[in-house]
Amino acid sequence: MSERPTFSNCAGVGTEPVIALDGVAKSFAGFRVIEDLSFRVRRGEIVTLLGRTGAGKTTVLNLVMGTLQPDAGSVRVAGHDPFLQFKALRGHMAVSFQTDRLLPWRTAVENAELGLLILGRPKREAREIAASWLDRVGLSGAENRYVHELSGGMRQRVSLARALAVDPELVLLDESFSQLDHITSSALRRDFCNLARQFEKTCLMVTHRIDDAIEMADRVIVLGAKARIRLEATVPSASAVGQTRDGLRRDIEIALGPEAEQESSQQERG
Amino acid sequence: MEGLAPRPAARPAAIGDIVAMSVVVIAILVTMHVVSGFVPDYIMPSPAAVAKAGWKILTGDMLHVMATVGRLMLALLFSMVAGVLIGLIMGVSASIRPFLRALVVIDTGIPALSWILLAVFWFKDPEVRIFFILTMILLPFYALNTYDGIRALPKDLVDMIESFRPSRWQIVRYLIAPHIVPYILLTTKTVVGYATRMVIFAELVAAAVGIGSRMGLAQSSFHIDEVMAWTFLLVVLNMILQLIVSGVEKIALKWRPEASVR
Repeated sequence: MSERPTFSNCAGVGTEPVIALDGVAKSFAGFRVIEDLSFRVRRGEIVTLLGRTGAGKTTVLNLVMGTLQPDAGSVRVAGHDPFLQFKALRGHMAVSFQTDRLLPWRTAVENAELGLLILGRPKREAREIAASWLDRVGLSGAENRYVHELSGGMRQRVSLARALAVDPELVLLDESFSQLDHITSSALRRDFCNLARQFEKTCLMVTHRIDDAIEMADRVIVLGAKARIRLEATVPSASAVGQTRDGLRRDIEIALGPEAEQESSQQERG
Repeated sequence: MEGLAPRPAARPAAIGDIVAMSVVVIAILVTMHVVSGFVPDYIMPSPAAVAKAGWKILTGDMLHVMATVGRLMLALLFSMVAGVLIGLIMGVSASIRPFLRALVVIDTGIPALSWILLAVFWFKDPEVRIFFILTMILLPFYALNTYDGIRALPKDLVDMIESFRPSRWQIVRYLIAPHIVPYILLTTKTVVGYATRMVIFAELVAAAVGIGSRMGLAQSSFHIDEVMAWTFLLVVLNMILQLIVSGVEKIALKWRPEASVR
């Protein structure tokens, strides 16, 4: 992208909750995955759910998406029950997944316009919006390439363009950058953050990478076993005095447990 | 911007295939010529006699060829549409699925000969008979393969499209329909030769016009050269049909990378 707005945390965050979970519980085949989880995400806020594998992060995301119904408690998205009022949130929410999930028979621009077409936007208008989003994610010139002609990073960019093109109020990210190499992942994270803040999107992001959480989020929620909240903290700005990002990193590592500390030190050595 | 993966180079013309086909055809003609010198004409006519009969067909019997091709196309198209619809319903409706699947499975177990004999009893009009026979034989292929195609839909893609909260029709339009196109084309490629054989067989028993009926007439009047000429014509017809399907496949599936194994 030619122009990148300056990265700054907590810009334009409102007080109104877009996502509200209260006392949510969820089990699969008698196995309790989430127990009494409550948290809120305010309008314009970027919140990261951080946790080890099996902590129930993706289940939380699926509950917010409305593809799962909680066994107990309530999930509200913009005041609606996302499961029972599934269609009410049409156009208000978009998801970027761990893998690009592009349709191989569609070109990059055709993939990017998919959500718009589903929302009933006229073909020509959808194409123009999709092309402009491809341009924003740095894929100008690759609009008419099929999926197999794009690299992994480019595919993930198309996936992001597809999610953002529908102009959703809420963007859910499910480990969207974890399958990419460090350099591509870092560039995409930065691009996404800038776009999300520029267009004042509310984002709930699931990740197991501490770096992603600290770099992108306004607030970090660390989940332990059964999605119990182990830590909830606001991310200090990069230039903050007092509570620094390094301090938060240490707190997150402690909240995640000894394996996280080990993993982090391995990353540092690497 | 990251580097674009190179567009795959167009496959070079399969000259080897053409050469191999020519060698096999020449070998068959030479064998026919040699054998025809030792046996009577009604067992093995010479290639020249077959060519003469072939010319007679091309100049005088094209109506029969067109009748057969027309029947084949109509039945193939109808079976494709109806079979795909049945497969789609099987794929998206869990309540109707067991009943349709049972019907289709029973249909696949009924021999083609049974349909031919039943059609002769049930219908007076030869066109209806042939249409019915071909449809009953071809339809299950499309229905089952479409259903298999829907079952093979990657869950990731279903979740992705559902995240936009589409209508059921939009899921069919944007996900299921394009996904099953390769299955439909593969089915067509597989059944087109079989369908050609079946239409000839049905015409032999149930019609007075068409290649099958002409072959029956030639056989009953001991014109083996004509039988041979019709046979060659059918082989060529099948090759043309396969080429057409391959051409359609190339256009419809241009998004698919060509894989090659070393």
